[in-house]
Amino acid sequence: MSGLAHFFEKEGLATIIVALVREHVEQMRPPRSLWVPFELGRPFGEPGNATQHSRVLLGALTLLDGSGPGPILKDFNDEKSMTDTADNWQFPITLESDSVKSELRSLIPVWKKARRRHGRSTVGISGLSPEQAIEFIDRYHSAKPAPNPKGMSVVARARFAIDDIKALYLEAATAVGNPTSNQLQNWLWQQTIAGAMILKFQEKARTSENKNLQLIAGSLVPAERVISRC
Amino acid sequence: MVKLVDVPEPERTVIAGLDCPTYGDTPFSNVPPMHERHVAIVSTAGLIVRGDRPLLARDVGYRAIPSTVDDGDILCSHVSTNFDRSGFQQDLNVIFPRQRLAELESTGKIGKAADTHYSFMGATNPDALEVKARELAGSMLALGVNTVVLAPV
Repeated sequence: MSGLAHFFEKEGLATIIVALVREHVEQMRPPRSLWVPFELGRPFGEPGNATQHSRVLLGALTLLDGSGPGPILKDFNDEKSMTDTADNWQFPITLESDSVKSELRSLIPVWKKARRRHGRSTVGISGLSPEQAIEFIDRYHSAKPAPNPKGMSVVARARFAIDDIKALYLEAATAVGNPTSNQLQNWLWQQTIAGAMILKFQEKARTSENKNLQLIAGSLVPAERVISRC
Repeated sequence: MVKLVDVPEPERTVIAGLDCPTYGDTPFSNVPPMHERHVAIVSTAGLIVRGDRPLLARDVGYRAIPSTVDDGDILCSHVSTNFDRSGFQQDLNVIFPRQRLAELESTGKIGKAADTHYSFMGATNPDALEVKARELAGSMLALGVNTVVLAPV
């Protein structure tokens, strides 16, 4: 991010970074940064808190009012969280547990409810339907792998199918209530068949002789979740 | 989460070990008053429009996201697993606040929200992005953009 700021400014374009890792901007010294105290992946704050997003955005743009030289680094003063998070959050229904396919079937209605709540879904980067994505990963290392449509290598398809499965499950889990990201991750990796399937796939990819599979192994499961299963 | 020290291991070590080149200078471009600013958002979340080829690891290109694209057609292809995606999944503005920016335009606080915003793949060697970054800067300047909000994940 600081590199982009440097190159944009060199071309005469003014920039402001909304920075998540203070240490990085301290080291790279971009011209202007507003450091925000939010978790990685949430530079403008919590979902559904439009007031907070606007405050961060305006805070960043206001930092451009100051004259140089840089670097200018300011901390964003966060207000108290507006979201009520549940201490004992649980997934809203009991999912089928016969197989990953039956689990998916029982999850789909909840996912549709979440899609209505949020007005959109981020599932679809693999180009496969949810059922196809599950099938693709479930059969990947079998004697009869699922067919790979044209347009993407089989390894890339696997990586993005897993992205879609994770998105599908995490979106479904936000159909009701306001779980924290940690609650969502605990549920996905510790309580679902799909999570166990992805962990198994990740381990096979990590130890595969296929270098492309090895390369994507680090892009499938958060590192601390791999360790927690060992 | 507050500072790197609060990030759980092993992500903390990964993030601390990311390549952070330093530069001999800190270029500082002039910017007009707030009400004259033409603002674009550039994200490093690896955002793409549904149906586009996803950005891959170490991809140095960028994707344009026109304002006509529906929120539901903006997907994340970032390679890293070490940041929360559930915020983005619930609300695009958590990482890409184009709606909030449009509100600043409609209330007259800024001059204009750009018609197109952009995204690179993060977790990439910053120096490898130089050619495409300079190219994009030229394109944005040609469109009248004079201010960029850089949004990481």
